[in-house]
Amino acid sequence: MPEMTRTDALKAIDAAFPTDPIVVNVGAAIREMVAAVGYKPNHLHILDSMGLPPAIGLGLSMGLAESKFEKVVTIEGDGGLLMGFSALSTIGMLKPGKMVLVILDNGTYGSTGHQPTAAHTTDFAGTARACGMEGHDVETLDELKAALEESKSIDAPVLIRAKINLQGQKTPYFLEDPVVLADTFRRYLTGSAKE
Amino acid sequence: MPEPDERSRAIIDGLEAIDPRYVLHLPSSTLTHIINHMLARPNTTTFPIPREEEGVGILSGLELAGSRAVAIIQDNGVGNLLTALTTFPMAYHIPQFYIVSRRGGLNEYNSMIHTLCDRVPAILDAAGVRYFDLDGRTPIDRWATTVEKAYEYSRTTHRPVMLLTNLMEG
Repeated sequence: MPEMTRTDALKAIDAAFPTDPIVVNVGAAIREMVAAVGYKPNHLHILDSMGLPPAIGLGLSMGLAESKFEKVVTIEGDGGLLMGFSALSTIGMLKPGKMVLVILDNGTYGSTGHQPTAAHTTDFAGTARACGMEGHDVETLDELKAALEESKSIDAPVLIRAKINLQGQKTPYFLEDPVVLADTFRRYLTGSAKE
Repeated sequence: MPEPDERSRAIIDGLEAIDPRYVLHLPSSTLTHIINHMLARPNTTTFPIPREEEGVGILSGLELAGSRAVAIIQDNGVGNLLTALTTFPMAYHIPQFYIVSRRGGLNEYNSMIHTLCDRVPAILDAAGVRYFDLDGRTPIDRWATTVEKAYEYSRTTHRPVMLLTNLMEG
């Protein structure tokens, strides 16, 4: 059983990239991120749309290539990645240098009752490398922190597969209007965020 | 390489007016002239996407980052993107623009493609997706302007907009 919890990983990602754009994937990850670090304007919360975050992160990474941001981080689950698996090929083809894709892999569809995924027989990091990305596997929180730091010096898209356990936190639903979420994030990107 | 037909030429002129930084496209025989033109266009990154819903995500990220982008797809792929389109850019009010080639109808040679394609307008209506038609009812000299205006409509309404474009004989 992996020792890292989802909240451990989310806190580490936020700490490594406190002001860079972060795409947060559906369901429990959003709720635990908000519970752990609050609702931050540099976080884009994808309330539904399973499988879409890597593609969204790809578009952001290309569009922000010349921006002040050091990296554009996307968080996805193992189940979500498998729903949009072709994105790895497109990312590897386009090679956005600022893209960091962190896969929180608990081997299940965690937001829908922990039905098992095919992650245990799929080499995500190896697939990423085969597609032209950098790919790393991490098993512990210290390894994740080290991989996130290392990604800052890599001018290529990076996939980090972080093994997490099934432990989750009881958190309230996050029911913000999606129009507000997008507008807040866009204003943050353009530097016009309201004080 | 043969010259584009006048309908493809008009779409190309409309895209030139939009001046996109990025163009995403699915493979398509009817859109060949348009895709080839954008692939050769300086200062525009034109690249293939393997699935329509992946294009919805990429286009949304580009739009949020402030990039001018356009997707070129076929209407027989509309079924693939509806969930992604309705749960993300429509729900979040992220504008984006699709040139959608029509299949089925007059001059269609594929015996099965019409099953979905003939019903695409009804499907889009049911899903609340805004679209405009561009076919033989529109004089050819208004096609390029219609492309540009449909793109602008996605900006002013903060929504995805599709331009259903008949490049065959309909």
